[in-house]
Amino acid sequence: MAAAVTCRLTTALCKQFQRVVTVSSSLTHPQYATRTLSKFHSCWQSPPVYSRALHTSCVRKGLEEFFDLPENWGESTVKSGAPWTAKQLRTKSNEDLHKLWYVLLKEKNMLLTIEQEAKRQRVQMPSPERIKKVERSMKRLDTIVNEREDFLRLLQTGQEKSRPGSWRKNVFGKTIWHKFREYPIPWHLNTRYKRKRFYEPLHVAPFTRLSLENYLKNKMRKTRRERGNQKKLAEMFPKKTAHA
Amino acid sequence: MANVKRILFPLYQFGNPQLRIFRPTFNMTLVRPGKEQPPDTVQFRIPLEMTKFDVRNYMEKIYSVPVAAVRTRIQFGTNKKKNHLNQRVKRPDYKVAYVQLAQQQTFQFPDIFPEKEKQHEEGSAEEMQEKFMEDERQRQKPDPRRGGVNEWFGL
Repeated sequence: MAAAVTCRLTTALCKQFQRVVTVSSSLTHPQYATRTLSKFHSCWQSPPVYSRALHTSCVRKGLEEFFDLPENWGESTVKSGAPWTAKQLRTKSNEDLHKLWYVLLKEKNMLLTIEQEAKRQRVQMPSPERIKKVERSMKRLDTIVNEREDFLRLLQTGQEKSRPGSWRKNVFGKTIWHKFREYPIPWHLNTRYKRKRFYEPLHVAPFTRLSLENYLKNKMRKTRRERGNQKKLAEMFPKKTAHA
Repeated sequence: MANVKRILFPLYQFGNPQLRIFRPTFNMTLVRPGKEQPPDTVQFRIPLEMTKFDVRNYMEKIYSVPVAAVRTRIQFGTNKKKNHLNQRVKRPDYKVAYVQLAQQQTFQFPDIFPEKEKQHEEGSAEEMQEKFMEDERQRQKPDPRRGGVNEWFGL
């Protein structure tokens, strides 16, 4: 029971995820043995077995995951660990990350439920910083997964970007990276796409020239200022004094 | 920050395989129903992009809760309220899903914020404050030996 409780508390937010996974796999939940679940679900950590004086309709075990542990109901603060860092997540395998994503998702659902109920009852939600922690963990997980996908794609195909695109000049004369969109019809039949102009109209050319001039002017000013500063410093601290 | 990065799903054309989302970003919030609902109905707030099929799969796959029926509606968030600059402030729209559970299961929204007796730890500032307040209240009470009679009367 204590192991199950700690399991629930530490799963989403603690470093010792591996330990928790091994603990949960050792808990053989009799109900799940009879169910025909997908491979993903059977190796998933079974919800901890609680003994509660609440109503015992079977579905509560699923919907109970939308609420916190009953010991924490009515508390003003609930202890929670630090969010997952990118460095910690990089050491995990893809299967572990996939499972962790769902753990975090369920945790987020639970916290949102509590937040909404707190607003309804006009009571302060216990430890609202947990939501931010979970969000950050999920974002970092997403970053790691995309990173791995990028590297795989680079190794296998040499493509740098997952979404195809190209450099194009837009109506304002600016060169932009245009990301392609999926359409069911070819571009020459797409009237809405043809209305979008990827060339600079003639009357916009002077403005492009002006903006280019502005950019070069600012760049030159910056370099000159930098050079002037260095000269002043060299005057203040000539090389001879350094040796003396 | 809601929906920072726009998620693009691949275009579907007839004959394509079923779209599978491996890491869903949808969050479902269980809410207490405003109006009385039948005992097997659970009320959720879901993102606008979710459909009834999405809700069913979500409940069955992630929470392993058997679902008999799902009905949804979109709740319009008011644009009537005004802030201190007299500008209209929009409250976000959301979708409400009414999920009916299968296998004659029931659900009653529990009381998550019960009144708990707050026990302060020994030697803390709050404990001393509580004690002090308790003493003050004791002092204000009238003499119990007078049997509830006002002090204005007699000796």
